[in-house]
Amino acid sequence: MKTSFKWLAAAGLVMGLAATAAVPSAHAESVLRVAMTAGDIPDVTGQPDQGFEGYRFVGYSIYDALINWDLTKSDREATLKPGLATKWSIDPADTKRWIFELRKGITFHDGCPFNADTVVWNVKRLTDNTVPQFVAKQFAAMRTRTVNIAGVEKIDDGKVAIIMKEPDSLFYIQMSFWMMVSNCQFEKAGNDNGKYALMPSGTGPYKFDKFVPRERLELVRNADYWDTPRIPKHDRLVLIPMPEATTRAAALLAGQVDLVEAPSPDTVPRLKQSGMMVLTNAYPHNWAYQLNFVEGPFKDKRVRQAANYALNRADMKEMLGGFMIEGYATVPPNSAWYGKPVKYEYDPKKATALLKQAGCYPCDVTFAISTSGSGQMQPLPMNELVKAQLEEAGFKVKLEVMDWNALLDVTFKGREKFPQYHAVNVSRATQDPFSGIFRFAMKSQNAPAGGNWGWYYNAEVEDLIKKIYTTFDETQRDKMIVKVHEIMNDDAAMIWVAHDVNPRALSPKLKGFVQAQSWFQDLTPIVVEDKTN
Amino acid sequence: MTDITFGAANPAKVDTAPPVKVRGYWQSVAYRLRYDYVTLVFGFIILAIVLAALLSPWIAPMDPQKTSMVYRLKPIGFKQFTLGTDELGRDILSRLLWGGRTSLLMGVVPVGLAVLIGGTLGVIAGFIGGKINMLIMRTMDIFYAFPSILLAVAISGAMGGGMANGMLALTLVFIPPLCRIAETATTQVRGLDFVEAARASGAGTASIIVHHILGNVLAPVFVYASGLVSVSILIASGLSFLGLGVEPPTPDWGLMLSTLRQAIYVNPWVCALPGAAIFITSLSFNMVSDGLRQAMDVKM
Amino acid sequence: MWLYVARRILYAVPIALGVTAFCFALVYLAPGNPLQLLLPPDASAEVIELIKKTYGFDKPIPVQYAIWLGRALTGDLGVSIATNRPVTGEVLGALSNTVILSVAAVILAFSLAFTLGLLAAWFNGRWVDRLVTGFSIVGVSVPNYWLGMVLIIVFAVNMNWLPATGMGSKGSESFRLTDWEQLRHAILPVVTMSMIPLGIIMRTTRSAVSEVLNHDFVQTLRAKGLGEFAVLRHAVRNALPAVLAVMGLQFGYLMGGSILIETIFTWPGTGFLLNKAILTRDIPVLQGTILVLALIFVATNLAVDLIQTAVDPRIKRA
Repeated sequence: MKTSFKWLAAAGLVMGLAATAAVPSAHAESVLRVAMTAGDIPDVTGQPDQGFEGYRFVGYSIYDALINWDLTKSDREATLKPGLATKWSIDPADTKRWIFELRKGITFHDGCPFNADTVVWNVKRLTDNTVPQFVAKQFAAMRTRTVNIAGVEKIDDGKVAIIMKEPDSLFYIQMSFWMMVSNCQFEKAGNDNGKYALMPSGTGPYKFDKFVPRERLELVRNADYWDTPRIPKHDRLVLIPMPEATTRAAALLAGQVDLVEAPSPDTVPRLKQSGMMVLTNAYPHNWAYQLNFVEGPFKDKRVRQAANYALNRADMKEMLGGFMIEGYATVPPNSAWYGKPVKYEYDPKKATALLKQAGCYPCDVTFAISTSGSGQMQPLPMNELVKAQLEEAGFKVKLEVMDWNALLDVTFKGREKFPQYHAVNVSRATQDPFSGIFRFAMKSQNAPAGGNWGWYYNAEVEDLIKKIYTTFDETQRDKMIVKVHEIMNDDAAMIWVAHDVNPRALSPKLKGFVQAQSWFQDLTPIVVEDKTN
Repeated sequence: MTDITFGAANPAKVDTAPPVKVRGYWQSVAYRLRYDYVTLVFGFIILAIVLAALLSPWIAPMDPQKTSMVYRLKPIGFKQFTLGTDELGRDILSRLLWGGRTSLLMGVVPVGLAVLIGGTLGVIAGFIGGKINMLIMRTMDIFYAFPSILLAVAISGAMGGGMANGMLALTLVFIPPLCRIAETATTQVRGLDFVEAARASGAGTASIIVHHILGNVLAPVFVYASGLVSVSILIASGLSFLGLGVEPPTPDWGLMLSTLRQAIYVNPWVCALPGAAIFITSLSFNMVSDGLRQAMDVKM
Repeated sequence: MWLYVARRILYAVPIALGVTAFCFALVYLAPGNPLQLLLPPDASAEVIELIKKTYGFDKPIPVQYAIWLGRALTGDLGVSIATNRPVTGEVLGALSNTVILSVAAVILAFSLAFTLGLLAAWFNGRWVDRLVTGFSIVGVSVPNYWLGMVLIIVFAVNMNWLPATGMGSKGSESFRLTDWEQLRHAILPVVTMSMIPLGIIMRTTRSAVSEVLNHDFVQTLRAKGLGEFAVLRHAVRNALPAVLAVMGLQFGYLMGGSILIETIFTWPGTGFLLNKAILTRDIPVLQGTILVLALIFVATNLAVDLIQTAVDPRIKRA
């Protein structure tokens, strides 16, 4: 008998232990807590995972790249600005050599100096599997950005050259995605990426503090940050993964976090009613369908045009509570490469006429779509609406619903493997011409080799792109990029629907946030007014 | 996910009705049931749910797949939508009716399969005994080392979602307890005089199993299985809720609950409806199973 | 008795081994190749080889099992494919959060259920009894993930009294039950989780106590003028071991079955970890978590059995 009471006592003890003497720690420091949409904490060891959200919150917080993004303006699309490199240019003697002049006097969080050797070490880390700092997973994450690199060379302590396999006038943009890792710290971790993950060190505005797997990453202010205007205005940045929109909304309402990414439009009225600020801004994002140019009705330009005419994008915007920009082209209208593309405005009669002309009425098509995914916005309701609008004009649409990874698989493998689909709905980032435009148009990018899912081909586009890669004069080059963008519209190369406006909800106690027109954001100017928490 | 607890904790305690009563046993069960009003009421509720699910193509007011962006997330009683609409503007009432089909199927099929497989294995183990018994029963012990929901999640989590995988996982979860019950009942009957007598009078193995063993194994297995239906519906809906069961856009209560959860701040009470359907069904099956257990005089 | 204890422990060994084999086999139940998660679709052959070697996918299956088991015994459950972190650390970190929920839920359930079960047995057949019995059936029939949602709707969405999700703004590492701000987060999940054990413990208590009350000797004691309170105390004392045993088993079930509730409340325990592993098809994490939870379940059952034998030596099972 007594034994069972002992047992009960033991159970009580477990409870007691769990509750061990807690002194509620008084926070004298100001803390900014952010709810991310990612399912886990992005990789902190250099190249983040979890898509661009990883770069946004972890990459550019702990690290700098040779070239950074200027995120201080909210009224124009974000541009590149000098980062750890002060200048970059093509070697006048050799169009395969990009020269980077490095910033002087920079030290990593661990105190080691940043110099040309560090850059060489970093480039090798992701390109050369014979060096001790090579990390397979990091390499895999960066593989598409490294294909054109033939080698790297130190010119002097303040200068490096990165050598291309083929001339590439757009290569420098890639360097804005290369996080510069501290080589001493990595060696201190015994060249073990797992150990380094517990003590990462970069040159960025925040230093790593601690990390609870799946739950939170805590960064603290780097008071010695070289880019002095960007020294954080709060002491601590806490990043919390919350993949579900409902959870994020609940957490913001309960005061568990101060800033949430992508609240669902449905919850916005409730958030506003509770005094939260909901911010939106354009950014280089494209929610469209890539089409199959080999199998099915979209081979015919008239059918592609009909689909674009059939869409009432204003209705879509209304359904999303206003949280989108109507999409009529590959890049959003505020982009430098937008130009004057043909605009397929809502005209269902014209759509029907075009379908009849093309001899495809009713026109059976099958779309591959996902239930969720990074940048996909609200894929189910949006696709349902597209379907309804297309059917109004004479299409017969079958939606093939799959999960995000399965859809990515369809996208990567291309139409050859999946001839049953006439379109895929994968949203894209468009901040650089290659990943935003060219890879959907080049023959060399025909899937599975690259992003041209449906094997679009246009000889003029092909020629232009070739020229762009060997043109090192920016004005001239940009003109040609605009031309490519316009030709693709003329071809109705996609069915364009929307550009996201990336809603964020902020607690009223945050001041000073500027929402840049970019996938990336600068949190450093945020002041957290209530210091008691 | 719980009734198993009783069986798992003390499966050795299973008692069958004394075999002497075989004649007239079912009549007396029916007699007892006739005056057990609670069981009868819940029995009728089950009947109604089953009928509603079967007749859904005719009685559902709308197409359960028909979406409407204009009528997204409407509250209960909005226009023609008696129970509101979901995040794609589909009629909740129609989806609940249609969803009953998948949810009931996911509840009943695995239990049925498990009765067949587990029951057969149990009778074999109990009747043959020795090494075969050892082999079968020790294998079952391994599966007992998992809480049922964990086992179901493990199997369908590894195999991936889908209705077939979900049903397979549930069947595997239910085989061990049913096997144990059949084994215990068989072992008890095997040693009894009348079986020995049948054997002595030259009856074959098959004949003994059919005539003497099955009659006594069936009652406890049946009662236990009827309780499992409720567990099965709960776990199956749980799997769908986790994205491991039925795939969208097929209507299913668990899946509806999971997608509607995203709208909990917009349309809270509509979100709770599919769960209420699961609850009522599972409760009814539990009540009826309890009534049967008493009426059939099976102690567990 | 010691012989029994030794035998019972020995008997648990093959079961534990079987559990490891089952968990290992999960990898081969999985369709497709976990490697895919690591690689861009256009990865070259060398890269695939390199990563295969790093993760040990290139060896034959029995060898893989032997290596895996050997490593598992030393506490090394491999590395998460999604995060590159050791699985053991992931599971142990999450485990304490699930323990907090399960222990609290079981204690809450026990204190309520024992009292109510006792009342039901005492007022056998009267309305209190019917109410309690009905409630216990409701407890085991209610889908607890739905109950969790309903509680969120009522207490978080409509009344805004309690937080809907998570473990508090300071995270699980600094979670303290003595800090009300954080304790609030545990209330809804604990209440939800206690439903099933509540129903079951209530039922067990009722039947155990009424069995004692119906014994002849109790009638005799009553006839001899023993006070009602003394009779009750006697009944409780006799029924308690069985009820506590059921409570112990329920603890095991809660530990292993927390996935739905942790998903609803985004409580960062093992169930949440498991759910994430399923979503990202992170098989090492799935495997490791299930292994640890199943072994805990085996150990709980063993402990309950042994303690019960110690308390009441009359119970001796083969």
